[in-house]
Amino acid sequence: MIIYSTVPMEIIFADQDKLEKQQLHEIKVGEVLMLVEPVNTYEGKIVRLISPDPMDYTNPAYAPGQIVSFHPSF
Amino acid sequence: MNPMDYLRKPSTSSISALRSDVQNNNRQLPFGSQQQPDQPAPPQALPRQPQETKSEEEPSEETKKRMLDSITQLGQTNVPQLESNIYCLTIIGQVEGHIQLPPQNKTTKYEHIIPQLVAAEQNKKIEGLMVILNTVGGDVEAGLALAEMISSMSKPVVTLVLGGGHSIGVPIAVAGDYSFIAETATMTIHPIRLTGLVIGVPQTFEYLDKMQDRVVHFVARNSDISEQKFRDLMMTTGELTRDIGTNVIGADAVSYGLINEVGGLGKAMNKLNELIEAQRKNEAVLQ
Repeated sequence: MIIYSTVPMEIIFADQDKLEKQQLHEIKVGEVLMLVEPVNTYEGKIVRLISPDPMDYTNPAYAPGQIVSFHPSF
Repeated sequence: MNPMDYLRKPSTSSISALRSDVQNNNRQLPFGSQQQPDQPAPPQALPRQPQETKSEEEPSEETKKRMLDSITQLGQTNVPQLESNIYCLTIIGQVEGHIQLPPQNKTTKYEHIIPQLVAAEQNKKIEGLMVILNTVGGDVEAGLALAEMISSMSKPVVTLVLGGGHSIGVPIAVAGDYSFIAETATMTIHPIRLTGLVIGVPQTFEYLDKMQDRVVHFVARNSDISEQKFRDLMMTTGELTRDIGTNVIGADAVSYGLINEVGGLGKAMNKLNELIEAQRKNEAVLQ
């Protein structure tokens, strides 16, 4: 993988340790599988979608950074 | 993204309305169906009431829920719809590819852009694509993937560089049918640096050379600049403080043949409409 950018590498990767601590959960909201980073017990911030339906990616509600609520299942 | 999305109230009801609207339209215009030629073109950027789909079947659960949502949110059943026949894609910050970048980077995730391009290509209502760039570069593979996707679209694509279209932003900027650059926008053309894992000096050199060739070939193929000229710009010394290369500003990019024209949103939109019109005529002739 090569990064081709005008921004120096040390700036791009400055907060790398924060990313390493990030915990991602794979959840299903409706029909869409997504990776979310929990912000509290019931809510998570969308990091990435995993969906074969291209329309899911045009849905503003599923854009990365949006908050989705979920409930832990037992 | 549909530019009209940003004009909507960010209520969940309008989002769900949008979502089911998209699905309805897909039902209305199944894949492979032709648009009626006698239907006049919808005026752009004008609020328009949605066409009511007269379906015999009972309203589905989802439709009922949507109506209920809009009653609670807006006090009416009919959510005003703004529709656009162009798809506006913004590529900002770093183009994020195989490695998730730390959170202080503003990134455009390429795996999210690709399905959007697929959606824009497939949706019959979308007639043109506007790509707006303000990027500092990013992953070579991801950037080239986006550039290839954009250049292989059958619908007219106009690109507009605002602020900056640096490094891997250059191939994306030239990938459309016609490109614009704002007068103050810049593009930095510089060689690819190594951050990957290739060991050994001759291999590294060859590997980098090949990586670079991919970018150079793509740019030369998709714009009026010659390969030699692009390489020359890339290898210029004394322009950049920390690197070799050239910082090309607005009109310079046009004079090198890299970008078609200096202009802003108005010009870009006019050009896109022109291309859409040409495409429509072309399709009418074929029918």
